[in-house]
Amino acid sequence: MVEMVLAVSDLSVRREGVTVVDDVSFELAPETDTALVGPNGAGKSSLLQALIGILPRRSGEVRVLGARLGPRGQLPAAIRQQVAYLPQTLALGGRFPVSVAEFVGLGWDPPGPSLPWTGGRARRSAVAAALAKTGCADLADRALSELSTGQLKRVLLSFCVVRPRRLLLLDEAQAGLDPLAAEQFHQLLYQLHRSEGWTILQVSHDLDMVRRTSDRVLCLNRSLRCSGSPDHALSAAELERVYGRDWVPYRHHHAPGPPA
Amino acid sequence: MSTAVPVAELLALPFLQRALLAGLLTGALGGVLGSFAVLRQLSFFSDALGHSALLGLSLGIVLGLDPTLVLIPFAVLFALGVHRLVRSSRLPADALLNIVYSSSLALAVLTLSRARGLQGGIERLLFGDILGVTSHDLQLILGLLVLAGSYLLLTRRSQILLTIDEPLAVSRGVDADRHRLAFVVLLAVVVAVSIKAVGVLLISAFVVIPACAARLACGRFGAYVALAAALGAGGAVLGLLLSAVFDLPSGPSVVLVQALGFLLVLALEAGRNALAG
Repeated sequence: MVEMVLAVSDLSVRREGVTVVDDVSFELAPETDTALVGPNGAGKSSLLQALIGILPRRSGEVRVLGARLGPRGQLPAAIRQQVAYLPQTLALGGRFPVSVAEFVGLGWDPPGPSLPWTGGRARRSAVAAALAKTGCADLADRALSELSTGQLKRVLLSFCVVRPRRLLLLDEAQAGLDPLAAEQFHQLLYQLHRSEGWTILQVSHDLDMVRRTSDRVLCLNRSLRCSGSPDHALSAAELERVYGRDWVPYRHHHAPGPPA
Repeated sequence: MSTAVPVAELLALPFLQRALLAGLLTGALGGVLGSFAVLRQLSFFSDALGHSALLGLSLGIVLGLDPTLVLIPFAVLFALGVHRLVRSSRLPADALLNIVYSSSLALAVLTLSRARGLQGGIERLLFGDILGVTSHDLQLILGLLVLAGSYLLLTRRSQILLTIDEPLAVSRGVDADRHRLAFVVLLAVVVAVSIKAVGVLLISAFVVIPACAARLACGRFGAYVALAAALGAGGAVLGLLLSAVFDLPSGPSVVLVQALGFLLVLALEAGRNALAG
């Protein structure tokens, strides 16, 4: 039997006294790309954040690469290093004076106290390799605050590839990008997914993109409403169950399979 | 204004040597802590703490205790209390801080009005007094510098991540709650020990101005923190010297020098942008 990268059972999350994720169970098989879809306020981000301990969970169990997520969101450091989380945007990205290379280096170090002179050379070469893989080599010395949204997203991907990871959690990675930049970002993500052997769980509003590139879809509206292949989960009948009767399938055109 | 005293003569005075050394150390420390505090929106926290510290000082005076001994526990309790209050309440942090500091200030002024024979002393509490720095204070500041310096140096990656984006930091395994609390307590203690020389009214400038000036000039983290520390320490030393030479209140002198430094950086940056653009 294949070991699951992520196993979630009966997960519930409360936010300010309101249940936002209710009794959700699912598993992610290695190297799959799963999309998490659902209307605004359906609890998609909350679910994602509870999986890695950013939000506390009320009940249920989460296993990441076989390790149990502790009640306060603790994971063994060796497991934690293999998981990366990408927020929609950086809360203070624009105001903190840090260069792109310095920022990507923060993704390399294990958590916990460290002496300033440790890991210098290994970190530098890992950062250079990560920037090259994501097409950001020319941005290394730029300040994080000078980047465009599209550049910042690519730098966030560098933050993820700076160390070999197995599980990637993305919270609306395409938010704020124009259609062309979103497409480019997705191409890069798809390529890295293949070459790095990532297992991906991503919140997405772009059902069209999900249809083309995801292996599997989870439809969430507080509880899990449906799951399965994009063709099944994104059929008109299933979408109505998740989004409600008034939902109109905008930007709906079928493209042939995922990009090669 | 009284006549200027020769600087060389002044520098031989032990109390001024102590004050300058204390200014150098607390100025640097204020700059370093400020470089995180400003971006974590803790500027108003240090302001509120400074004002509330008058309550700690006045209680010390009424009870006849060494002000430093009262100030540090007061600052730690203040930090813990406010941290808890802000976390558990749905009201905005700045509004809560305003309530806490106005009531502390009111209580402090009432307490002082009951303590007789202190009329000259209040000004010193408000605006600082370089005569007030004892060798005992100096040892304390040195210890604090070592403690704060090693904490920030060892956890700097966590501190940077926490300041940039808290969820991202937590996802990397940073214990956000513990670090936030530790930082706020540290900031409170540094503000408390700096109060003697700068005074309660202007102490927050000590944390805010050098960091803001450095932010204008620097795009890299190392340079940012170093410049904030240098501006903090330089402003404190120069300000204290001016205050001694021209017999001015020490707090306002320090803050004005730091503010001039800020304006200088602002002008240099505007000039550089004009040349570049």
